Amino acid sequence: MSEKKSVGTVFFNGIIPENPTFRLVLGTCPTLAVTTSALNGLGMGAAATFVLVCSNIAISLLRKFIPDQVRIPAFIVVICTFVTMVQLLMKAFLPALDESLGIFIPLIVVNCIILARAEAFASKNGPVLSAADGLGMGIGFTLALTLMGAIRELIGNGSVFGFNLLGGSYEPMLLIVLASGGFLTFGLLMGLVNLAVKKFESKHADKEGQAA
Amino acid sequence: MSLRISTAPHMHNPLTTQRLMQYVCIALLPTAAWGVYAFGLPALLVLGISMAGSVLAEFVWQKIAKQPVRINDFSALVTGLILGLNLPATAPWWMVLIGAFFAVIIVKQLFGGLGDNFLNPALAARAVLLASWPVHMTASACVNPTFFQAGVDAVSTATPLGAPGSYTLMQLFLGQCPGAIGEVSKAAILVGLLFLLVTKVISWRIPVIMTASVFCCTLLIGGATPEAALAAVLSGGVLFGAVFMATDYVTSPITPWGQVIYAVGIGLIITLIRQFGSYPEGVTYGILLMNIATPLIDRLPRKIYGIKKEAKKA
Amino acid sequence: MLTKTFKRGIHPLHGMHEGKGQTRDLATREYVSDTVVISMAMNIGAPAKPCVKKGDHVDIGQVIGEAQGFMSVPVHASVSGEVVAVDQVPSLGAGNMQAVTIKNDFADTWVELHPLGSVEQVDPKLVIPAIQAAGITGMGGASFPTHVKLTFKPGATCDTIVVNGAECETHLTADFRLMLEHSTRIVDGLRAVMRALNVSKGIIGIEDNKPEAIEAMKKAAQGREGVSVQPLKTKYPQGGEKQLIEAITGRQVPSGGLPIDAHVVVLNVGTCAAIADAIIDGKPLISRICTVTGCVRQPANLLLRIGTITEDIIGACGGYSETPGKVVFGGMMTGMCIPNDQMPIAKSTNGIVVLNEKQAKSKDESPCIHCGRCVAACPIGLNPYQIKVAADKSDFAAAQKLHVMDCILCGSCAYECPSRRWLTPSFKFCKDHITAEAKAKAAAAAEKGGAKK
Repeated sequence: MSEKKSVGTVFFNGIIPENPTFRLVLGTCPTLAVTTSALNGLGMGAAATFVLVCSNIAISLLRKFIPDQVRIPAFIVVICTFVTMVQLLMKAFLPALDESLGIFIPLIVVNCIILARAEAFASKNGPVLSAADGLGMGIGFTLALTLMGAIRELIGNGSVFGFNLLGGSYEPMLLIVLASGGFLTFGLLMGLVNLAVKKFESKHADKEGQAA
Repeated sequence: MSLRISTAPHMHNPLTTQRLMQYVCIALLPTAAWGVYAFGLPALLVLGISMAGSVLAEFVWQKIAKQPVRINDFSALVTGLILGLNLPATAPWWMVLIGAFFAVIIVKQLFGGLGDNFLNPALAARAVLLASWPVHMTASACVNPTFFQAGVDAVSTATPLGAPGSYTLMQLFLGQCPGAIGEVSKAAILVGLLFLLVTKVISWRIPVIMTASVFCCTLLIGGATPEAALAAVLSGGVLFGAVFMATDYVTSPITPWGQVIYAVGIGLIITLIRQFGSYPEGVTYGILLMNIATPLIDRLPRKIYGIKKEAKKA
Repeated sequence: MLTKTFKRGIHPLHGMHEGKGQTRDLATREYVSDTVVISMAMNIGAPAKPCVKKGDHVDIGQVIGEAQGFMSVPVHASVSGEVVAVDQVPSLGAGNMQAVTIKNDFADTWVELHPLGSVEQVDPKLVIPAIQAAGITGMGGASFPTHVKLTFKPGATCDTIVVNGAECETHLTADFRLMLEHSTRIVDGLRAVMRALNVSKGIIGIEDNKPEAIEAMKKAAQGREGVSVQPLKTKYPQGGEKQLIEAITGRQVPSGGLPIDAHVVVLNVGTCAAIADAIIDGKPLISRICTVTGCVRQPANLLLRIGTITEDIIGACGGYSETPGKVVFGGMMTGMCIPNDQMPIAKSTNGIVVLNEKQAKSKDESPCIHCGRCVAACPIGLNPYQIKVAADKSDFAAAQKLHVMDCILCGSCAYECPSRRWLTPSFKFCKDHITAEAKAKAAAAAEKGGAKK
């Protein structure tokens, strides 16, 4: 690595500039499937964040011992361990959330965000930076999922986190909580986030240009 | 003396996009008129809101996106009119408005505006409304030819597709049956078709082949009698779809053989959905699915002057 | 009457006699101006080199520009009088070109002519050299040197000569008048070429909106060996070389090939008449019939000397009837705009159409609505809208894959387009670009090869 990265930059990197959902378009499967409500999105995000931070730290610590040829199976084994922990913890303490997330908790194993960060970041950086990266990416993922869940829940059910916001006379737009509604919301949000980032970057570039 | 310079050709067929869209509007008038006559004031309101909403959505989007405003090409008006005719007269105003905005902004403008949408905007909006508010979309009003009555009751009358045989062929043909505003009167639709053919806005291929395809598929796949197959053609939105929606330039194939494949495909999908699907009607999805296939169909090889097949292999 | 035709195509101005009504029934009259400007670039290929200088006296038919090689024809004085200038003038689509300006003394003295006699007796070997010496180029618009067309590459065979009397372009009636007034000359020219090439079949194709011409040509062809008349359906571009061959012989010219690859040679009726003049009278090509129509007071078919200036021609037709917006050399579908009315006519100028300001206004492109009218129109069977998408992105490779090089630039797609897309102009741009690129590549390859040696 040519330049030294600070923990703060690495952490914030995952939230907006390289947001895994909207910017890197990773982990779209759970994004589309579980965001039918804000709570589901938050739960999924929290579970993934936990796995991401733990696996990033573990893989970062083990990076010198894992032979390059078998690194992917090794990463998967590490990730599996943490996913199993999350799954069992959830079953024990949050049975309702476990019920609604269903198969998508074990599927975190193959969530490409986690494997991608292990491959692209943790296997090349120290444990502190890797933890920051995992946390940043996890929070970015959680925020994206919660936002999408909240929007879909609001339009498709009239509520957010179960609180009815739009009153009894609101007739929910069922499509949004169906699969096609997931694609629609995802596409529109991705477009909006990219537009916002682009605007921000061009403004930033202008300022830098003026300063120079 | 200054003379203009330009490359050939120096003249054009006077037919413009705007004129074409105006012709489509005119062709839709008999259908709309029958709808308003049959369903009364609410139908007029639905059509009005839908048209106004579509044009407004187009205008607002083009202003926001800083594009040249092209609402005078009539394409948004056509979208609005077709969407309105696809809705039941009992549709609530907000649903119509959402449909209009969805059609114009999400389906049409977000994909690049006129000419670049890959789905028929009005139909895509109809599909969205159907999935979102199935109760409002399937409530069918009784035909009650008293104009300006206070309101039309949403009665869950059996639609021709829900209960085959409850209407005679003549009733189906003339439009004395429940359904969406525009799809009920086949006679009015045929008048529109005649106008479109005479003005050469569309060719006979898609409407005729698609209708024939529904007829034949119902005979062969559904094992229906010829009368029942004819009733299947006259029920629901087959004719309206064949004349006004499957023929949408943007989303239908350009080449003659492509149009044949497309039309046969729509008929087949409609019949499959009607016979084996969980929806009673399949026109919307039949056309939308073949819309998606259109870019592929357009890439089918064609015979080009002076190029032989053997030469291509070499 | 059994008419033949090609696939697809369009019917421009169908309800209005293809715009020919104004001049159709007007017999040609001669007009000679007092000055002519004769360009040396009269043909595709190398321009001629002037061989007279200012102050020289020239007679009609005297060579004033010498041919430069095989792909070139000589240029002759079209009036008698004094050479007043040999200088550069703007030419259509080729930048500035050398031209000879002659002031007419109206003495109409000819140079000594060397007639070869009857077309049925002339030595076939003398025909093609005579054609080159007479300065004959394709009179239909492309101005390809006729003797080059008639000299085949080794191994090529020809079994049919097709004479193009279709005149599918709108507004033009020059060929029609020629067929009515000089039918025998056309058949004579055809016979000369048939004998020169030892071909037994000559077919004259004429659109069925000209029944008088069909009658006249049939009469002239009577008793002439191997010559027949084929009525064609009135449809644009019926007179396109490839379409004409498809309609008359049922064969197709292979992609990238020439008519001779389909064993056919196509000649315009005007070219045939000029060949007859060259053989029978020994006269070089110094005049032609030209339709002047549109916004002029007296539309006419004029027999004009090559090099007559547009302004004088318009004057001979009573002047402009409205403020002119565009003046087009040729028909409305493929003609070229001239920048000002000082432009002289060339051997290939078959018509001058004047448009008023309203007709000349260019229309803005609006988005393509995929209506398919261009596909239904294209006589070649291309997908113009797809090529246009590639062209707009300057994706020349994609355009080439969509066979843009087979486009004949007939303008049918652009005529039909309800969105007024500039289809034909962008295809022309594509074709020019691809040709230039291929040439540059070949040149670079040749240089490389030379360096290696």
